[in-house]
Amino acid sequence: MGQLRRALLTPVSEIAWRLPGWPRRLLAEFSLAERGSMVDMLAAAQATPRREMRRKYFLHALDEGRHATIFADRVRALSPGRADRAEAVIEDAGLLQDHGIVGGQTLFERLGELDFLAFVYVAEADAVEQFGVYLDRNLPDAETSASLRAILKDEAFHVSYSRAECERYRKDGKPVDQAIRAVRWRRFKEGWMRFTRDFGEWTSGFWLLVLYFVAVGPFRVLARVETGGWKVVARPGAAGLAAARLEG
Amino acid sequence: MPVYILGISALYHDSAAVLLRDGVVVGAAQEERYSRLKHDASLPVRAVQWLLSDAGITASDLDHLVFYEKPLRKFERILATSVATFPRSWGAFPRQMRSWLGDKLWLRSTLCATFGVRPERVLFCEHHLSHAASAFYASPHAEAAVLAVDGVGEWATTTLWRGSGTTLEPIAEVRWPHSLGMLYSTITAHLGFAVNEGEYKVMGMAAYGQPKFRAEVDQLLRWDASGGYALDLDYFSFHWHPTRSGTPALERLLGPPRFPGAPFTPAAFPGDATPEQVADSQRYADVAASAQAQMEEAMLRLVAHAKAAVGTDALCLAGGVALNSVANRRIAKEGPFAHLWVQPAAGDAGGAMGAALWVWHAVLGNPRGPALSRPDLGRITPVDRAREMLTDLGAKFEVVDDPARSAAADLAAGKVIGWVQGGDEWGPRALGHRSILADPRSAETKDHVNARVKYRELFRPFAPAVTVEAADAWFDIPEAAREPVRWMLATADVRPEKRAAIPAVVHVDGSARVQTVDAGASPLFHRLLSEFGALTGVPIVLNTSFNLKGEPMVSCTVDAMASFHRSGLDLLYVDGFRVERPR
Amino acid sequence: MSTQDPASYEPTRVEAWLLRLGTAGALLAMLSRGGRWWMLPLTLLFLIAGVGLLFLQSIHYVAPFIYMVF
Repeated sequence: MGQLRRALLTPVSEIAWRLPGWPRRLLAEFSLAERGSMVDMLAAAQATPRREMRRKYFLHALDEGRHATIFADRVRALSPGRADRAEAVIEDAGLLQDHGIVGGQTLFERLGELDFLAFVYVAEADAVEQFGVYLDRNLPDAETSASLRAILKDEAFHVSYSRAECERYRKDGKPVDQAIRAVRWRRFKEGWMRFTRDFGEWTSGFWLLVLYFVAVGPFRVLARVETGGWKVVARPGAAGLAAARLEG
Repeated sequence: MPVYILGISALYHDSAAVLLRDGVVVGAAQEERYSRLKHDASLPVRAVQWLLSDAGITASDLDHLVFYEKPLRKFERILATSVATFPRSWGAFPRQMRSWLGDKLWLRSTLCATFGVRPERVLFCEHHLSHAASAFYASPHAEAAVLAVDGVGEWATTTLWRGSGTTLEPIAEVRWPHSLGMLYSTITAHLGFAVNEGEYKVMGMAAYGQPKFRAEVDQLLRWDASGGYALDLDYFSFHWHPTRSGTPALERLLGPPRFPGAPFTPAAFPGDATPEQVADSQRYADVAASAQAQMEEAMLRLVAHAKAAVGTDALCLAGGVALNSVANRRIAKEGPFAHLWVQPAAGDAGGAMGAALWVWHAVLGNPRGPALSRPDLGRITPVDRAREMLTDLGAKFEVVDDPARSAAADLAAGKVIGWVQGGDEWGPRALGHRSILADPRSAETKDHVNARVKYRELFRPFAPAVTVEAADAWFDIPEAAREPVRWMLATADVRPEKRAAIPAVVHVDGSARVQTVDAGASPLFHRLLSEFGALTGVPIVLNTSFNLKGEPMVSCTVDAMASFHRSGLDLLYVDGFRVERPR
Repeated sequence: MSTQDPASYEPTRVEAWLLRLGTAGALLAMLSRGGRWWMLPLTLLFLIAGVGLLFLQSIHYVAPFIYMVF
């Protein structure tokens, strides 16, 4: 699994980091992902019934917050004064929801303690592998590599503590391997869902655009932008329950 | 059996929920404080969970759930505007329709499924009626003119109402796309700030400039004989473009827009910027000053119209524009009303409160109750839980018998402290419950807190909090602004002879966005100010929201500890505990 | 959140679709009451598109394949 992943990651990274504008974009996405992780880890610190885990989740969250800042600083350093999508991504917390990183239930609430720890272990191990590939190839530049190296030390700690906790659960007879498999399947499924969502958005956007030109255009002659100025309002301000039930 | 009404605002920005029990607000919470996403617009599931559990009820106990908008009218406006601006609206249309047809249009079904409320209990209140109700019913006034001014709701962007007892009678409205809120937001975007987030930064920036672009910004807005206004739509694209709010004509009029995050180095603090950079920054400050002056005068015109049409002594304000504290000061000082009341959550979050109060008073016909008097309507962390959290997180803390006295001593010693006490504040301002506090007597404090504690722009001013008893000795507060300054919603001039004593909280123009604190509404914070006054002779502290750049205000102990660790704060006071900075 | 409260209302799939049908009807009724009667056919068209969107969202695991078929 690891070798296959690495074999896939290597050429993809070589291409992705060399496309114009992509280093900023990828680093902005990393920053966003780290911020999302910080939110998830803080929520876990708050919700966990295992009090001894609280500090670990909390320190992990602080690391993720620091990483988000490091990546955001690299985005700005790569092209100072330039305002583009990448800049907007790191500034806009609302995009965390669009990315499905957080929102609705927290990851901890959705998974429970064991699956959450398995998720942390798998995600962090994948990140270590991914960053290792970038570092091997010094991608995208020496300064970013130095930042990645610093981050990698923290990620190694995250892998080690989550693995140790999973092992503790295993000793207690809990189905850790099953949880790890479930997490891997979940990550694959979520990746697929993101793809279907993006693909669906693109396709529905296309068809809505076709409808716009075919169906909306002819009605243009009937529509007017409202004029300004005060308009007297005729409808009553107070209403009974029946009127309040109306959606329009 | 008590009657429970849940008000909800969501799906645009700043979602919130408010719970009424027999018409009294028992809790009000903004979703961002729980989800940790600033301006979170999603349905306020976590805020509602907290409200219900705190009240000891479940969804089945709710008599009514009321949403703060009429979604079908909003859909009508979006579709009609797309048709009217065909073919320019081609970029915005697919994403708007996808979002509406796939989700927002079916709100009744979503509300029922999400909150577990039966369909017949789900109600809808018009957006501007929600705003107007949030200002009028929460105010102490039995008769008032009510003005709501924001970006847009369904069709209305500015509405005038006559409030009398439990009724709100609509008088007139200005309709989309003619919108003062969108005009200010367009300038906000032009100045490199995020719309719905950076408007108050424009207000701060304006103080560094002169209204040299007044003639230019006046071309954007026309007034008619009836006191109504219209935008010159040649300069605006917010009603048809997916991301841009101004057209190239606006750039020709005001000059090139500012890049987001570009250094701001006006003549007042040029630093090591080149003369060209200083000139650019000064131009942006002048544009901001011009737009701010225009907004203030526009509000004065609307207020004059409200007085002529309604004629009461009191004016209630709501809508995002009502958060413009500089304009509120001018309304209080120069306007025709003797009393001004502004809803503390004047933006869309406040719509949740207005919608719920509207159901109680206007729909169910119940009499008015007491006015909103306390800011701390959100989540409280029980002391035992806070202690457990601090212990588990490895914090070095001690129990303090008198947090007010202890914090005052630390502030007087020059420490910058995080102050988390009681419930979350309702609205966007930190009012002494989720605040960062510092000694205002040193000019360096401002730069220190901006750069090392909150990591934000150096030009941003800080607000003073003062005991209500000492307020007049330090600030020239217009009589009509007595209520708004309780909620930090109007600026006031710092008395000239006092400015040198509190340089960290005096803005470059000699003003301050002051908060007066009374012992009844915020007893602990009031005592802190009194203790600080006893130690230093200055009953004032620098008060800014306890959050880091791009994040919502902290809510619970864990959030506070995380921000404490990640900022340059010296100490944290959380629910009766004094926490020292980790090494 | 309703799962935490056994007495709370959880619409079935059929009830949810009926609620949406009610919303569509309310939208058309609102337009016919107001002055924008000309929006009725356009709105009807987009409501049908909306139903399609909702359907595809409900089966989003295989949505790309269905889009390809179309």
